[in-house]
Amino acid sequence: MHNEDDTADTLGLHFFGNMTASISHEIKNALAIINENGGLLGDLVLLMEKGRPLDPERLKTMSGNIRRQVQRADDIIRRLNRFAHSAHEPATSIDVREIFDFTTALAARLATMKGVTMTIAPGPPVQMEVRPFQLENLLWLCLKHLFVVTEGSQSVEFAVAESGADILISLRFGTDLPVAEIGARVAREGQPLLAALQAKMQIDTSVLQLKIPKKLED
Amino acid sequence: MRVLLVDDEVELVSTLAERLDMRGIAATWVSDYRAALEAVEKEAFDIGLLDVRLPEMNGLELKRLIEARRPGMKFIFLTGHGSEEDFKACTAESGKEYYLIKPVQIEVLMAKLNEIAQS
Repeated sequence: MHNEDDTADTLGLHFFGNMTASISHEIKNALAIINENGGLLGDLVLLMEKGRPLDPERLKTMSGNIRRQVQRADDIIRRLNRFAHSAHEPATSIDVREIFDFTTALAARLATMKGVTMTIAPGPPVQMEVRPFQLENLLWLCLKHLFVVTEGSQSVEFAVAESGADILISLRFGTDLPVAEIGARVAREGQPLLAALQAKMQIDTSVLQLKIPKKLED
Repeated sequence: MRVLLVDDEVELVSTLAERLDMRGIAATWVSDYRAALEAVEKEAFDIGLLDVRLPEMNGLELKRLIEARRPGMKFIFLTGHGSEEDFKACTAESGKEYYLIKPVQIEVLMAKLNEIAQS
């Protein structure tokens, strides 16, 4: 939920809430798989005690499953930790593709739920000075409204290019999407963020473009 | 008792199905809503154990589609989310006793399945 009086900080809080809810869901799934594998191990031991042979290959598979899920949960928690710290990180020089990588990783599960495939166009590093959390938040708003309007399998490609003193971030959507509606929603909800980033939005048939100064003016 | 398990976490749902099989439950697992609808077209199940947050379709919507094909089938929602929003939506559908949060202990799940089967 949001209203017209939201500030960039309020939007940040919504963003933080959305992401941590999704991340906690991912961690729960990893724990549930560890729980089931541990439980299955106990079941097989009980059967072994009743005379059924225990296949070492099964044990190896279960051990591998548990280790993989522990690694998965650890990766998720590292991401959560980085995300938590980014909330109060000051403006810093950063490659925009790093922001793309991080934002798409954060939103990966929600995108899967909506049948949306996210990709990042390759290219050389593009540096800008920005509060990473604010740019991540703006990109998330674009994704969030894509998730709201999409009704089937969709794709979005993140691209970035330099244009003089600005950078141009493009979100190229698949076909048959109401890009203008996504743009209008982002402009409405994300106005404080657009202002904070001094960003201008342009809409094309299938592209939502954000023009942002490489370095914010005071 | 025949149970259909639907969850996009394949390692979870396949292991859970194996553990239910060991306890005398005929468990079939699928990992998306399309496969779930195909399964209920082919076979009658007593209970559906549905993840709330499935890709492309949530568990509540899937429940309604399955019910249209198999009236009388009962459901338990399983979720890792545990949000107030999910809880309210699921309990509005089927009563709070049919809502379990991951990770769930097998004894709890077995007790719930038996209770629902006898209700």
